[in-house]
Amino acid sequence: MPKLVRKGCKLVGCGSAVPSLSVSNDDLSKIVDTSDEWISVRTGIRNRRVMSGKESLKKLAVEAAQKALEMADFDPNDLDLILMCTSTPEDIFGSAPQIQRELGCRNSPLAYDITAACSGFVLGLISAASHIRGGGFRNVLVIGADGLSRFVDWTDRGTCILFGDAAGAVLVQACDAEEDGLLSFDLHSDGEGGRHLGAPINDNETDELLGSNGSALDFPPKKSSYSCIQMNGKEVFRFAVRCVPQSIESALEKAGLVSGNVDWLLLHQANQRIIDAVATRLDFPQEKVISNLANYGNTSAASIPLALDEAIRSGKVKPGHTIAAAGFGAGLTWGSAIIRWG
Amino acid sequence: MANASGFFTPSVPRLRSKIQPSIGVSRSGFCFSGGISRRVVCSSAIEGAEKHVSPSESRMPKLVRKGCKLVGCGSAVPSLSVSNDDLSKIVDTSDEWISVRTGIRNRRVMSGKESLKKLAVEAAQKALEMADFDPNDLDLILMCTSTPEDIFGSAPQIQRELGCRNSPLAYDITAACSGFVLGLISAASHIRGGGFRNVLVIGADGLSRFVDWTDRGTCILFGDAAGAVLVQACDAEEDGLLSFDLHSDGEGGRHLGAPINDNETDELLGSNGSALDFPPKKSSYSCIQMNGKEVFRFAVRCVPQSIESALEKAGLVSGNVDWLLLHQANQRIIDAVATRLDFPQEKVISNLANYGNTSAASIPLALDEAIRSGKVKPGHTIAAAGFGAGLTWGSAIIRWG
Repeated sequence: MPKLVRKGCKLVGCGSAVPSLSVSNDDLSKIVDTSDEWISVRTGIRNRRVMSGKESLKKLAVEAAQKALEMADFDPNDLDLILMCTSTPEDIFGSAPQIQRELGCRNSPLAYDITAACSGFVLGLISAASHIRGGGFRNVLVIGADGLSRFVDWTDRGTCILFGDAAGAVLVQACDAEEDGLLSFDLHSDGEGGRHLGAPINDNETDELLGSNGSALDFPPKKSSYSCIQMNGKEVFRFAVRCVPQSIESALEKAGLVSGNVDWLLLHQANQRIIDAVATRLDFPQEKVISNLANYGNTSAASIPLALDEAIRSGKVKPGHTIAAAGFGAGLTWGSAIIRWG
Repeated sequence: MANASGFFTPSVPRLRSKIQPSIGVSRSGFCFSGGISRRVVCSSAIEGAEKHVSPSESRMPKLVRKGCKLVGCGSAVPSLSVSNDDLSKIVDTSDEWISVRTGIRNRRVMSGKESLKKLAVEAAQKALEMADFDPNDLDLILMCTSTPEDIFGSAPQIQRELGCRNSPLAYDITAACSGFVLGLISAASHIRGGGFRNVLVIGADGLSRFVDWTDRGTCILFGDAAGAVLVQACDAEEDGLLSFDLHSDGEGGRHLGAPINDNETDELLGSNGSALDFPPKKSSYSCIQMNGKEVFRFAVRCVPQSIESALEKAGLVSGNVDWLLLHQANQRIIDAVATRLDFPQEKVISNLANYGNTSAASIPLALDEAIRSGKVKPGHTIAAAGFGAGLTWGSAIIRWG
């Protein structure tokens, strides 16, 4: 007889990986007009990792995933879903199936990409939870990975100082409701703010040369490509500082919690001043705030699992700890989740 | 534990009671005993992004059966139609060669001021219109595409153009030509397990922008389009997603893709850390590359298996299904799959002669035309299947309206 039970999901393993090449602020000051002091004071970033040589986003994602599976003592053949949260896949058709292949999954689990910029990982966690609670999935690997260095204008000192490459992964498993590790969430998008941050497609020039539609000269179209990342830093900062605290408060309320119940604040690692402002607004003391962007910069969808992984492996975050996690970025899209580790 | 073998409505004759291994079961949703009112903990009622539940309600576990129904459909295509004869002027091919081997006669290609965003918005608006639904009540927009107009995704821009005032979450899903089926299953999961209630699923692609128009092996195949379906939460009796079956196999990835072109620096230098590797050159994506023969063999092998699996999970056979709606890639694939599943021609939906392979848009585009022409009627059961790059493939047994 079909037994209808409460479904929860728990986070049981975490892993991360970064490229070997570390680029310091001093290194950057040699290629653009900037300085270590300027960058570290305004952003908190001192170093970032950049893919080079034979490195690839796929390899980083696979390494992060394998470490997560190892931590959970879990056989990749038992995965039934792989979510690759990225804005920079290594194929326009997505990177998830290649990661599935490298992990050696023998049971053809579904593997697909989710694109939601720097909110990607939080969105991936919520998607995993939805698929577990409402889709019958049981063992979901959520990977946040981005290679933004490939879409950065390295001559633009306004943006090239900010971004780095990385991958992080978490294994999410179905469980009974008592063990549930996703206590609540709150997710939003606002396309109005899209103009403040993006890397839009460069359509071929034909569009501008000709009239509206159907002119024979429009065909065949020239190949499209994506422009480098463009950002209005001031507007993005204001958006983050305004929307993220609201979202976390909303998630806390839905979970029936207050910030005092939460052990750690784990924000998308974009800028230390954003992190500080949000922590202050929510009354989180500094010692409860997770931050590693000094070493890695803004790694987009990888930033949250990368910081989480370091905090777990260093012993800070322990099983049973409650974490308020929030992503925010291009879209604009933002969101938070109250999660329990382990 | 809930045995996932598909939703049942009172009209389905047989109740599955066999417990299946979790892997086989895990992809197809819940099984409810028909007619018995059971309390299911919808944990989403506590934790989800429920906007229509008052704060006090959101803390009381509300235990309801959850289904999802497809209530509106729309589509949009560019105005420029490129015929096989047009193509024969730019590559060495002919109308006969193309139409015999693929079934395609024309395809639409974006031009001038057209954009994928505009097509997606038009399709979405038509779907919302059909359902008489206010875009402000959407709580989730899923844009299924491999060709967004920003690396960070296109969904939020579509949300903006639709005029949604309540900041509903909007994000992109990338799963190539399986994208739309995957989008439907994601919508269902978010409704059944995430507390969402009104989800717009858009399948849209502008593959013409990534096609090598000098390669006669590929440029004859693809076109641009958008399609959309509105999926709403409902009681289990009205459920419109009866079962699904989804897979990926990265081993086959080499047969179809448009990989990133890394800068040449990687090839010139040693393994890691050489100062010359930095800064990296800007990356771009290559044109679509395909081993047509291998992709054909994969589709003809995997799609019938997947549909049979989904039918079994739903407790149905092909005779119970009114329409076969496959990703519109190639008429010979459609014919081979229909034959293998014993679907008579008159039950097979096909419009690729006019539009070519529009990737994630192909299923909702064909569905929309079939609905608006009166073929597909409310209550009809459809076996839908996507397949393509990844490789990823999957099927869903759905009920329209």
